[in-house]
Amino acid sequence: MLPLASSGSKVTPRHHMAGYSNGYPRGSTFDISPHRFQPRSSTPAQRSRRTQSFVRLAIVAAVLFLIVLLSWSGRGRTSFLSIFSLGLLSSDPSNFELETMRYYDLSNVQGTARGWDREERILLCVPLRDAETHLPMFFSHLRNFTYPHHLIDVAFLVSDSKDNTLDVLVQNMEAIQGSDNTSMHFGEISIIEKDFGQTVNQDVESRHGFAAQASRRKLMARARNWLLSAALRPYHSWVYWRDVDVETAPFTILEDLMRHNKDIIVPNVWRPLPEWLGGEQPYDLNSWQESEPALALADSLDEDAVIVEGYAEYATWRPHLAYLRDPYGDPDMEMELDGVGGVSILAKAKVFRYGANFPAFSFEKHAETEGFGKMAKRMQFSVIGLPHYTIWHAYEPSVEDIKHMEQMEREKLAQEQAEKEKAEKVMKLKESFSDATGQWEKDKSELQKITLQEKKKEAAADAEAAVAKNNAGSKAAGDKTEEKAAARNDDKELGKT
Amino acid sequence: MARPMGSVRLKKTNPVTLAVGAALCIFIIYFLIGSSAPDFSASRKATAASHPLSPPTSPFRKPTGGGKPKPPPVARYNLNNVTITPNPLENRENILLLTPMARFYPEYWDNLLRLSYPHELITLGFILPRTKEGNAATTELQKRITKTQKYGPEKDRFKSIIILREDFEPPLTSQDEAERHKMANQKIRRAAMARSRNSLLFSTLGPSTSWVLWLDADVVETPPDIIQDLARHDKPIIVPNCFQRFWNDEKKEMDERPYDFNNWQDSPTALDLAKEMGPDDILLEGYSEMATFRALMAYMHKEDGLLHEEVPLDGVGGAALLVKADVHRDGAMFPPFAFYHLIETEGFAKMAKRLGWQPIGLPNYKVAYPLALTI
Repeated sequence: MLPLASSGSKVTPRHHMAGYSNGYPRGSTFDISPHRFQPRSSTPAQRSRRTQSFVRLAIVAAVLFLIVLLSWSGRGRTSFLSIFSLGLLSSDPSNFELETMRYYDLSNVQGTARGWDREERILLCVPLRDAETHLPMFFSHLRNFTYPHHLIDVAFLVSDSKDNTLDVLVQNMEAIQGSDNTSMHFGEISIIEKDFGQTVNQDVESRHGFAAQASRRKLMARARNWLLSAALRPYHSWVYWRDVDVETAPFTILEDLMRHNKDIIVPNVWRPLPEWLGGEQPYDLNSWQESEPALALADSLDEDAVIVEGYAEYATWRPHLAYLRDPYGDPDMEMELDGVGGVSILAKAKVFRYGANFPAFSFEKHAETEGFGKMAKRMQFSVIGLPHYTIWHAYEPSVEDIKHMEQMEREKLAQEQAEKEKAEKVMKLKESFSDATGQWEKDKSELQKITLQEKKKEAAADAEAAVAKNNAGSKAAGDKTEEKAAARNDDKELGKT
Repeated sequence: MARPMGSVRLKKTNPVTLAVGAALCIFIIYFLIGSSAPDFSASRKATAASHPLSPPTSPFRKPTGGGKPKPPPVARYNLNNVTITPNPLENRENILLLTPMARFYPEYWDNLLRLSYPHELITLGFILPRTKEGNAATTELQKRITKTQKYGPEKDRFKSIIILREDFEPPLTSQDEAERHKMANQKIRRAAMARSRNSLLFSTLGPSTSWVLWLDADVVETPPDIIQDLARHDKPIIVPNCFQRFWNDEKKEMDERPYDFNNWQDSPTALDLAKEMGPDDILLEGYSEMATFRALMAYMHKEDGLLHEEVPLDGVGGAALLVKADVHRDGAMFPPFAFYHLIETEGFAKMAKRLGWQPIGLPNYKVAYPLALTI
């Protein structure tokens, strides 16, 4: 029907497809006439397409060549391989990116009174030498710190140690960092070894002898400076110096000292003593206020001389923090200081960044921590001590103490020996001679017995006489036998005594 | 207009076109990845720290996202093994190059890139003030650093770079040379400078540095071998002679003149002057009001002299200064207060001497400065 109808019409197109009968004439694109011969020669469009594909092929070849080239050169290999593996197969441990640049604004690490709230990092510095015996005690303190552990970076300097300090240190620290309790983990941990060739022995006598002080203090100062310069980072707000041989200290000591918001702050340091020495004693005499006699003394000394506190050779008449302690005083009371001791110092990191350190030379006639106090004062930092906030240093008996204790022990033994001998003597005496007092008693009781018997006989005779007199019957006779029995009993008792 | 013969298009697609597409995809992916930083060599990666909490003198692994962060490892450093020898190159000793910077000179950076000492052994440390100028200098500096560290050839890239910003207000905003050198301003200015230097030094020194090279931000020309040349002398503190290039109007040509007057040998006059001073007063060099008659290294230079001639010094300047790290570790710092009436670098020389380290100067070894615009 359809072709007939169309053939009858004059306006409809001649070649018209059912799907595209929109009435518009087509372009020449698909104007194919089956009635005309068309040779299979390439049209201009086909030709250009062919050349295009050749160009593309050339590009592909070039790109492939480039890739192969880059993949063979060492630098490109890893990243090239990671495209195909999508980074999943890269088990290569060297496949990580490096960060070479660090940026820090030091005004963000000034240190405030509430550092634990503001994520302020503390560098805990511990100089060590032959300290193996004190380490277990120290690590218990370390674990107990209430300041967030991840904000504490710990740095140790182990110098000239002949014992096992280093190994014990590493084991303990690794145990802490590897523990399951993540709140135990500390921040950066540096264990630094450096030998200064110290000749001074570490026993109490050589450490505290007057003659050794100046050179010993200078060496200690060097050790402290080496530790500090190797461990201080631009992200530290505070630096806490702590000796390893502190026996008792509050767990909150970091917060307690920080709360005062001072540039440098130290607690009072005492040590427990045996009863015969008075029970307790001020330990750290390096925290003091400057005095006129001391300044005069300093002026009179040689440039390289070092005044050390607590020795009769240098009478300085300085007020010491240690002696001002009142066990019932306000622990927050502050006192201005000029020299500080090194057992426990909390300082703002900027104090050290600005250059204050532990002079290993005679700085205004002082060295190490005392010189540090003096230097900080010159740089207008606040140096504060807390007279009634006390921590306790471990008691190590000095050679004299040990002698004294040995003497005491000997005396005690001698006394015990004497007592024992005395007791033995008494025993011997008892054994070799009979006891005269006992004999006397015996004789006395014998005599008493005799007199008693005689008395009873007399009484019995009296009674018999009375019975006879009164013509007593059989009842009376019964009483008489009873009385006799009683008398016999009395005899027995007397015999016993 | 609807597209005709949609299904036919696929049939017609040439396998060549598909290949081209695939190749292009690879090409694009490859260059997307390849356009990020070229990788560091394995030897550099081996020396990198595994945690961001680490000495800043070494690069660290970028923390990869995901997973619980591991606690930092127990790191051991043996400072007995850190060598400081006359031949740092052979012993692969680490150099810490420190620069307090107020302005960024592109020539300064170009000069750094020319240093012949292996860059993978050099750590750079900068400290900039918190001023408008300081901000601008930081931006410029960071641009150049990114260019070098990310896109530069690996041999140009430095081991690590630390940028610090000061935490105190600068005492003087003017960098004008005349104002800067006024005597009254000197003590405050140099005390601040000393604090800058100390802050930079003591927070970056770390446990592996062998030598510290102090180089001022305006030193735009040094011999490329300066580190090796200075280290060769094996001295605790060593200072080359600093000169400034300028346009000489009389001679109508570029000329040089002595610049750093802080390198000197003490004189009895200066010592007598010091005796009469208050404890907080400082002696300054190069001011006619205060004639010290010290022997200045700046004037000891001889054109025909031996390049490596040494003279002992009592005061040093900081323009270019090579120091053994041990000297700083022992506690020799730049006093920001009057230390024996000396301050900053001069005080440093004195403190080093008190610790038993003797500074040495090289009058004939020259380091040049930039053009001075005003005198």
